[in-house]
Amino acid sequence: MKTYSHPEALVETAWLADHLQDPGIRIVESNEDVLLYDTGHIPGAVHIDWRADLNDPWIRDYIAPDQFAALCRRNGISETTTCIFYGDKSNWWACYALWAFRLYGHDRVKILNGGRDKWIREGRPMVREKRSYREVPYAVPTVRHDKEIRAFYDEVRAFLQTGGPLIDVRSPGEFTGELLHMPEYPQEGALRGGHIPGAKSVPWKTAVREDGTFKSADELARIYEEGCGLSADQEAIVYCRIGERSSHTWFVLSYLLGHKRVRNYDGSWTEWGNRVGAPVQRP
Amino acid sequence: MQNVDPALPARLEEIVNLFQNLPEEEKRELLIAYSDRTNECSPKEGETFTLSDIRKDEECTDSVGVFLKADSDNRLLFRMSLGSHVQTLTRAMASILCQGLAGSTAEEVMAVPSGFVPKIVGTELVRQRSQTVYYILARMKSACRQLVAERRRANLASSTS
Repeated sequence: MKTYSHPEALVETAWLADHLQDPGIRIVESNEDVLLYDTGHIPGAVHIDWRADLNDPWIRDYIAPDQFAALCRRNGISETTTCIFYGDKSNWWACYALWAFRLYGHDRVKILNGGRDKWIREGRPMVREKRSYREVPYAVPTVRHDKEIRAFYDEVRAFLQTGGPLIDVRSPGEFTGELLHMPEYPQEGALRGGHIPGAKSVPWKTAVREDGTFKSADELARIYEEGCGLSADQEAIVYCRIGERSSHTWFVLSYLLGHKRVRNYDGSWTEWGNRVGAPVQRP
Repeated sequence: MQNVDPALPARLEEIVNLFQNLPEEEKRELLIAYSDRTNECSPKEGETFTLSDIRKDEECTDSVGVFLKADSDNRLLFRMSLGSHVQTLTRAMASILCQGLAGSTAEEVMAVPSGFVPKIVGTELVRQRSQTVYYILARMKSACRQLVAERRRANLASSTS
């Protein structure tokens, strides 16, 4: 039986319940629902908002390294703190925040398996009190690791020529072009529907069980390695609409299956489907 | 208090007035207070409705049910059922609109402009992935349109029989 390549990147709810007071960890909630943290969160958790905290307000990019360092300092996160991310939507935004932390070289990162929903379903404590932490030093990162884990439009175009595997993790309707946006997300519409030529459709949901926990290593290997032909040393790019669902698949491939050369194209369909001259395929 | 929008029903206008002068942090707190009270607008045991519209939207949200009861003067009472994964802002808006639109006619509801939403929610929270705050109003208007269409069909049928 295959095991996860990096089992240390996942924590279970029972483990976290026993380690809430550990000084070396910071529990980080990241959600799509902007007010969800305020309605209740895991005791001691801080809130990092995917847009207000991680995205630059003017340029479609992530915050500058000094802003990242400031974000960590004010949340009591030092370079040696292990951040345990969790959130709504089966951890879409938790994986996105984890991936963004990796861009700045913060490697001590984990995901709470099953996310917020599982914690609540198990009747574990939730509080509304927002705990503040003493500011700790965090040196401004000198390097951003975009080259390793992030793909840009031009790189995806070049990657197409190699025939390398591109994984489209959106819903089947978005992949075929039948839908120009997710239902009820019309503001994320694109001028063209379909997918990047040659991309394979593997919706993010394929990687999780009904309860939002990740499938076993064997099951994941069957989906991505046997089903899509991906392998540990092969380059691969994942995308969705704005990069959050593909962060989820990026986490699965990088940490659970141990694939070393997976990049997330966070420009995703909101860039590709609106970009003048970008080729689009529809089945 | 200044009238924020002449097309808003009086009850809704009162709520908008309450929100629009609050600082962002207090807006958030009041929105959460409204979201905590969504049970008050859920259908009650034994209630019957003139129209029910329950839908589940794949991927983005949980099921949202709109239930509408019209009295003899065509004044409306709204109830809403919200799945557990419906966003907090959407829950708050459901609670606000059930209160704010109670006693309005279908025509009045259909004429409500959506420009009041940012006054309630605040500029920081209306953004990508929180646009579903407009969704509840859209669903209520859709239910009203169905009601008006059914009424017209019934009137037509009775006048031709």
